[in-house]
Amino acid sequence: MYNFGQYIPVESIIHRLDPRVKIASLIVLSIMILNSKAITVAMLSVFLIVIIPTSRLPLRCVLKALKPMVILFVLLFFLHLVFTDGTPIPPFPLWRITITYEGLLRGILITWQFFLLILSASVLTMTTSPTELVIGIERLLRPFKILRIPSHDVAIMISIALRFVPVFLEEIVRIKEAQIARGADFKTGTVVRRIRAITALLIPLVISSLRRADELAIAMEGRAYKRGPRTYLRELRISPADYAAVAIMILVTGFYILQDYPFPGIYALLFS
Amino acid sequence: MIKIENLIHVYDTKQEPILKNIDAEIREGDHVAIIGPNGCGKTTFIRHLNGLLRPIAGDVWVNGMNTKDPLTVHEIRKKVGMVFQNADSQIVGMSVEEDVAFGPGNLGLPPPEIRKRVEESLVLVDMERHAKRAPHTLSSGEKQLVTIAGVLAMKPEYIAFDEPTTSLDPSASKRVLEVIRKLNDQGITVIHVTHDMDEIVHTDRVIVMNEGKILLNEKPSEVFDRLEWLKELGLDIPKVTQLMWQLRRMGNDVRPNILTIDEACLELSSLFKRLENQTTI
Repeated sequence: MYNFGQYIPVESIIHRLDPRVKIASLIVLSIMILNSKAITVAMLSVFLIVIIPTSRLPLRCVLKALKPMVILFVLLFFLHLVFTDGTPIPPFPLWRITITYEGLLRGILITWQFFLLILSASVLTMTTSPTELVIGIERLLRPFKILRIPSHDVAIMISIALRFVPVFLEEIVRIKEAQIARGADFKTGTVVRRIRAITALLIPLVISSLRRADELAIAMEGRAYKRGPRTYLRELRISPADYAAVAIMILVTGFYILQDYPFPGIYALLFS
Repeated sequence: MIKIENLIHVYDTKQEPILKNIDAEIREGDHVAIIGPNGCGKTTFIRHLNGLLRPIAGDVWVNGMNTKDPLTVHEIRKKVGMVFQNADSQIVGMSVEEDVAFGPGNLGLPPPEIRKRVEESLVLVDMERHAKRAPHTLSSGEKQLVTIAGVLAMKPEYIAFDEPTTSLDPSASKRVLEVIRKLNDQGITVIHVTHDMDEIVHTDRVIVMNEGKILLNEKPSEVFDRLEWLKELGLDIPKVTQLMWQLRRMGNDVRPNILTIDEACLELSSLFKRLENQTTI
């Protein structure tokens, strides 16, 4: 689970794009993907399928990142398959289960939408280092200062959260081993018993995190940290490739908005 | 210069103060060790040096700036860097260079200057090869070197170390101590809290603390003259010093205030020569 969507450092145009461009593109893409129309989704699928080879991410890694989501996809598909009203497919209704044509189409479409959503988010996190991602988020949040969103503090919070993920994982392993050595049992017994056993893991973890947070706060203060504006090691520069990417995104968005008008008939055919 | 005048600190008003009327001076270029048993107030004391704690009574002056003044506290933290025991909870950045850049970033320096300082600091602690690595992939000794680089990037005049080698293995600990000594040689004033007596041998001055008071503020050799007293305080004495002390007690004419193995070798060889001469006569 920890490897989900982890950054894969390979050389590609997508990797070198400005993180702001990539984050903004993801947001726009997500909105388009979720706006459920079969043809839009088909068009965006083609777009994403072109992006993956451009990013030079090994297909195996991309699929591996999506693997933990398979349960979600299956669940989503079956829920729509079973609970959509409409014309039943011949052998049904069997007993109380009814599967309809509408349900089948809806299930496929919505599952595919979620698949694309997670795929595009994975492409972002796999082609952008966490550091760049944080700087990108910070820059994009700057205009929201009017709404009192403290972009620098948000950036520090995200970066600390990401920094301490491996630290906590190590800590959990350490506490677990220490508790097993003292006779704690996390693997056998009833569900209630196992849940109760987890408290032996959670309480030391919470205590040690609080202590760590305290130490971290003091260390940060000692290094002259204060809320508000600060500067960063890395500067973001917009390159010609970024302009090209923005142009492509505008083009795609333009198609997406315009397609409603010239071919309304296609929708009538596919969906009403 | 850091000047501490009549410093009192209390955590809990119902309890005895943790620091009682501390007076001390730390001069530029000094390498000062602070030793004392657990709970004697060493950590509390050094946290006063850059305004992480404010005195309940008394004053701490850093280059003439009072740590009580909220306007100068930022400036003081620029001058006095601080390295703590647990490296893991001091590293903020997602990569080594990112973490070293945290301090200069807080000072609002322009990115090219940050880049320059990060590179210089990593070279000073001999970690420049690891600039891009994620902190959790480093060894604990390397992590501590990164925290030192992070402090160096702020170009401090003073660095206070709070038991930086306590959780390290001997070879990592040696590497960190070498870096500390090197920094002192380059003119940075070092204040080093420790409970390892071997570490204080190379310092200019030793402050011995107990129960919130400074008991002694002397050169290391003079501190080791009071061996029995240090033992009573519950502090460990270097092995060679204990050996020389034993020899002296057995009636041999050796200096008791020997701290390093090299000194001990010289002293012992001259002792053997004298003994040889005596037997031949």
